[in-house]
Amino acid sequence: MKIIVCIKQVPAAASVRIDPVTLQLIREGVGSVINPFDYHALEAALALRETAGGEVTVLTMGPPKAETALREALALGADRAVLLTDRAFAGSDTWATAYLLSLAVRKLGGADLLLCGKQAIDGDTAQVGPQLAARLGIVQATGVSELRFVDGATLEVRRMLDGGGDLLRLRLPALLGVERDLNRPRVPTLPGYLRAVDRPVTVWSAAELNPDPALIGLAGSPTRVVSSRPAELPKRDTVLVRGSSADGAAAILRCWKPRKETI
Amino acid sequence: MPVKSSQNRSYKIQKVVYQIELPMVKHGTENLAARLGAFAEKYCRVIASDHVVSLTDNAMGQLAFQGHELLRELKLEVPEHRVMVHINTFHTPAHLHEILESCGGLGVRDLLIISGDGSVRLPKLRPADLGIGGEAVTSVELIAYIRKNFSGFFRLGAAFNQYEPPDHEHAKLIRKLEAGADFVITQPVIAPTAEIDELHRTLPVPLFLEAWMSPRIELLGECIGCQIASGSAFDPIEVLHRLETRYAGRSFYLALLNFAKQFELVVR
Repeated sequence: MKIIVCIKQVPAAASVRIDPVTLQLIREGVGSVINPFDYHALEAALALRETAGGEVTVLTMGPPKAETALREALALGADRAVLLTDRAFAGSDTWATAYLLSLAVRKLGGADLLLCGKQAIDGDTAQVGPQLAARLGIVQATGVSELRFVDGATLEVRRMLDGGGDLLRLRLPALLGVERDLNRPRVPTLPGYLRAVDRPVTVWSAAELNPDPALIGLAGSPTRVVSSRPAELPKRDTVLVRGSSADGAAAILRCWKPRKETI
Repeated sequence: MPVKSSQNRSYKIQKVVYQIELPMVKHGTENLAARLGAFAEKYCRVIASDHVVSLTDNAMGQLAFQGHELLRELKLEVPEHRVMVHINTFHTPAHLHEILESCGGLGVRDLLIISGDGSVRLPKLRPADLGIGGEAVTSVELIAYIRKNFSGFFRLGAAFNQYEPPDHEHAKLIRKLEAGADFVITQPVIAPTAEIDELHRTLPVPLFLEAWMSPRIELLGECIGCQIASGSAFDPIEVLHRLETRYAGRSFYLALLNFAKQFELVVR
């Protein structure tokens, strides 16, 4: 089975700050990590390969430093890594990104299964996966929390929805956007990292992908962010209550200010 | 310390030794060979000086290579009872067993069992993973599990946090001792306190006092979640000597030791 996992490098969540004047993310000095949901996609791919055989390719688009994320994926056990990077790709929104990823998937010869995290924690749009499936003309399911093969060409997946869920059967090739509940991702080991040090990472620029210039970068991105502002978080404080559990419960009740609708 | 008097797993400390916590090698391929080399060099210095190396387990939730992996890959010597490996509750059951079996195979006999900080990236042990009931796995359950499944092979340490509310922390310490802890390590002690005095006087198992070796005392506040008064300059070596005088006979666990500036001064 040929599996492609799309991953994204995102700012380390704990260190994200917003410039109070420009209201932009402050990226200088901020560490980057693999988007947390993408670990679950990669774990699913590696587990499938372990049971059914095949090859796992990990694919990302980003600046050259995104190679770090790909090397971590190689350390976890991916067979091949591909980085799409070019100044011409900068400013691509989800639609343009999905277009570029679709070109890469085609250049890789397609896949039986494409896996993505359900969304990236920086943009939170959850759009790239479905848009990639649309670009490739294949079936897709989002919010996948369970998956199993019915036969070699059919998957059964459970997708989580607000207040319930769906059980879907999909014919391959298919794309899945996965939830955290799907699995417990492995943690890379030192031997894994040592193997990943010298593994090749394929780098494709616009010259290799040959995209339509009108469909990439800012020009190819219909999304316009009109404004954004940081969330106003309530002030928090820690109060230490000494005494019995009953004293603690009483103290919590004294502090509790119920909203009107809960009375 | 109101613990059962039937503690018979304790052992005598033959001489005062330092347990020296090494900075672990963080995940990543960048400069990996150089970073591994620097780790090995520090490790060998501690072993050569007859002190104990302490290897943490993803401290503060920051992913780093496991102690047993480093020992194995770097083919480092493991003299008996001279290497202590931390194990926290953020592992899959398979990984936990791999660590324990690997440590055993390498000759690591001392483990410090802590609940740990965890992160979104680290899987938390669940009660069912250890074949027990309850809501969560803490260091108490993990100590009991290792005691039961690796009976007598490892010496198991537990942590004592003197910065937590005392009644709660004492009750927890008793549970850790009853679960099978053989020794106890405090949080960094920066001055004698009644709390530490009492432990020093009454704890029925060996006590190791953690000493904060960074002059940046404000970092300690960040680590333990309390504000630490830092009026005058903090001299870690002077504080260590003062504590050694006050708590004579105790061994010390040195955190954030500066190998370039402090190592020779401390271990000579």
